[in-house]
Amino acid sequence: MLAVFVSLAMILSVVENLIPIPIAVPGVKLGLANIITVLVILKFGPKEAFVVVFLRCLLVSMLFGGPIIFLFSVTGGLLSTLVMVLLYKYFGKVFSILGISVAGSIAHNIGQITIACIILNEFLIVTYLPVLLVTGIITGVFVGILSGFVNDALKKIKI
Amino acid sequence: MFKKGDLILIAAIVVIIAAAFLITETLKSGDSSVNKTAEISQSSKIIKTIDLKKVTKAEDIVIAGKYRNVVRVEQGRIRFIESNCPDQICVKTGWLLSSGDIAVCLPNQATIKIVGKADNIDVVSY
Repeated sequence: MLAVFVSLAMILSVVENLIPIPIAVPGVKLGLANIITVLVILKFGPKEAFVVVFLRCLLVSMLFGGPIIFLFSVTGGLLSTLVMVLLYKYFGKVFSILGISVAGSIAHNIGQITIACIILNEFLIVTYLPVLLVTGIITGVFVGILSGFVNDALKKIKI
Repeated sequence: MFKKGDLILIAAIVVIIAAAFLITETLKSGDSSVNKTAEISQSSKIIKTIDLKKVTKAEDIVIAGKYRNVVRVEQGRIRFIESNCPDQICVKTGWLLSSGDIAVCLPNQATIKIVGKADNIDVVSY
């Protein structure tokens, strides 16, 4: 079952890269694969979520990019998953899927900026952070809403 | 669908964004009356340093790596002008004019930036 989620995450990840985004900042993306991450957190649990995210990053980067791409995507992805898992577990009553998704998105961006600074040995990369955080909130809300829809749909067919 | 915690979270993030924005504005001094030096780096090593004020005619520099970037240098400004990378973000960034401006080609691990303060320059171009 988890393999299905991993493949879905991979497909979303690849397909969203085909959508051109007119913002000239590296790292701005829709993050649709995170819908899968959120669903796995809701339906399975933290361990499964980390595994799914890790496998998705590994397989997508193996097919389409190489080890550097893997580093970039896995740091953002794992940090994002960690934040979402913790928020869900300890603050699940305070935040809805929307809030958790936004927090995940922000964490993802911070993780990616950090790893980019380290790999390129360039502190000024942080100047991209404000733009990324703004788009991060928007995509986080978007992903959260979609996750809610999918979750409701899955409940109806009892998955 | 919304809970109160969500709104507080988003408000907190907006505050963080504002703070991040202020911090990045201080990093970019935008003062071009001082030294205006461009640094071209690849794979985290500086490969070329150019004093943009002393450039008399336009020059193209090629950065070869996994992909091929062409950097155009003119007096007072620098940019990625051409690249065969898939996302073209480097080229779309446009001209770098002020200290703290930066453009990156992540797929090629290439970075160009403008530094303004003399004490930043501690690597010799080769």
